Amino acid sequence: MIHAHSLTKRFGDRLALEGFELHVAAGEIAGLVGHNGAGKTTFARAVAGLVTLDDGTVTVAGIDVAADRRSARGQLGVAPQELALYPTATARENLELFAALHGLGRRQTRSAIGDVARALVLDEVLDGRVAQLSGGQQRRVQAATAMVHRPPVLLLDEPTVGADPVTREALLGAVRTAADDGAAVVYTTHYLPELDVLGATLAVADRGRVVARGERDELRAAADSETLDDLYRELVCAA
Amino acid sequence: MSSFATQFRHQLILVRRDPGPLLGYTLMPLLLIVVLKPMFDALGRGSGLGGAAQATSAMAVMFALFALKTVGAMLLDERTWRTWDRLRASPARAHTILLAKALPVFCVLVVQQAVLFSFTIAVYGLEPPSWGPLIGVVIAWSACILLLGTAAATLVRTPAQLSAAGDLFALATTIIGGALVPSYLLVSWLRAAGPVSPGYWGLRAYHAALSGGALARPLAMLGAFALAGVVATVAIARRKVA
Repeated sequence: MIHAHSLTKRFGDRLALEGFELHVAAGEIAGLVGHNGAGKTTFARAVAGLVTLDDGTVTVAGIDVAADRRSARGQLGVAPQELALYPTATARENLELFAALHGLGRRQTRSAIGDVARALVLDEVLDGRVAQLSGGQQRRVQAATAMVHRPPVLLLDEPTVGADPVTREALLGAVRTAADDGAAVVYTTHYLPELDVLGATLAVADRGRVVARGERDELRAAADSETLDDLYRELVCAA
Repeated sequence: MSSFATQFRHQLILVRRDPGPLLGYTLMPLLLIVVLKPMFDALGRGSGLGGAAQATSAMAVMFALFALKTVGAMLLDERTWRTWDRLRASPARAHTILLAKALPVFCVLVVQQAVLFSFTIAVYGLEPPSWGPLIGVVIAWSACILLLGTAAATLVRTPAQLSAAGDLFALATTIIGGALVPSYLLVSWLRAAGPVSPGYWGLRAYHAALSGGALARPLAMLGAFALAGVVATVAIARRKVA
């Protein structure tokens, strides 16, 4: 579903991506981990067609992002790392907008909002203005705006950062359900135990490239690490 | 409801939820007209226009220039809220997104000026010789302000920058344009600088519409300023994306 091949992106003197390689199949959750500045966010922006690559190709559901940005974006649900919602609009109004941007009609939107609100435990706050919601509720609304149109590909950039346990549980459950329904998910996080809960595969990014990729247990065994945290230290911190 | 209609409605909701600045720029000129009417009557005699026409034109130009900052702020909000990238990451076409954002703001500018002229017509008996030219100028001036505001929002990085630059620009163009003090009362070098200000041509256009004068040149100049706004927006946006 996502095929990122040899992505290279330079911002001035800084190389943000250098031969970044990642392939994620339908129904798979790929946990993308790495230091700040490892290239995770630039990768997500490249998949969404928000940065022009210096080299390499990305396809989303078989569509080359560089060749047909608009169609590729139609397959995506994106929740960026930082909160990106309309604070003076209600949660429902935010969801209606993002559903409409992805071409959902009024009836479909109503039903899709109901579904995503149930999945993310948002029913009771749908008509509250985003600015007045708690941080955890805002995080869930943000994830909901990425998921409301049921995209085949989900890019979630640290969706649980600063989230309370209820929010974390709801988000992880909704992401797992989306993958079970066939979505390919790239899940960026610094909380490695979440990847065990999600049953995710692992991709470790460092200095603009993926330095380890595979099943968590295989990578752990290969690096002789007992936990994901140990594995991460082994692969990235020692480098 | 189509995607465009939903986006349009969404932008209207955002405008409605934060009406303070636009409401202020709609009501303040009414108050100023009432307070300064005697002065405008005196000034109007010198310019060959009635006091009410002089006052309404000046206020329409001055407060639309101040509203330019608010137009810019609405667009800048998309960047400070980080929603602009989310809109760009959707499959909606860029021109549809921009149009859905701009159209409600344009409507607000038109309403601002419509309220102003309706007030002067009702209270001071202002009588435009013909409605068509006046409506045309309201539309042209609003479009010009919208496109210059878009350029300003693209240029600046923070709301504070926009506020400072917007106030300076509005005051300078209002003064140079002759909306605060009629051009014939300005010092000669300032009077000579008038045509570089969009306010000058906005005021000329309103004066022409209210006196039955020739509109072609002022409207063409407003079109040129609007075009400059578009070119500046595209150039700045391209440089930032690169």
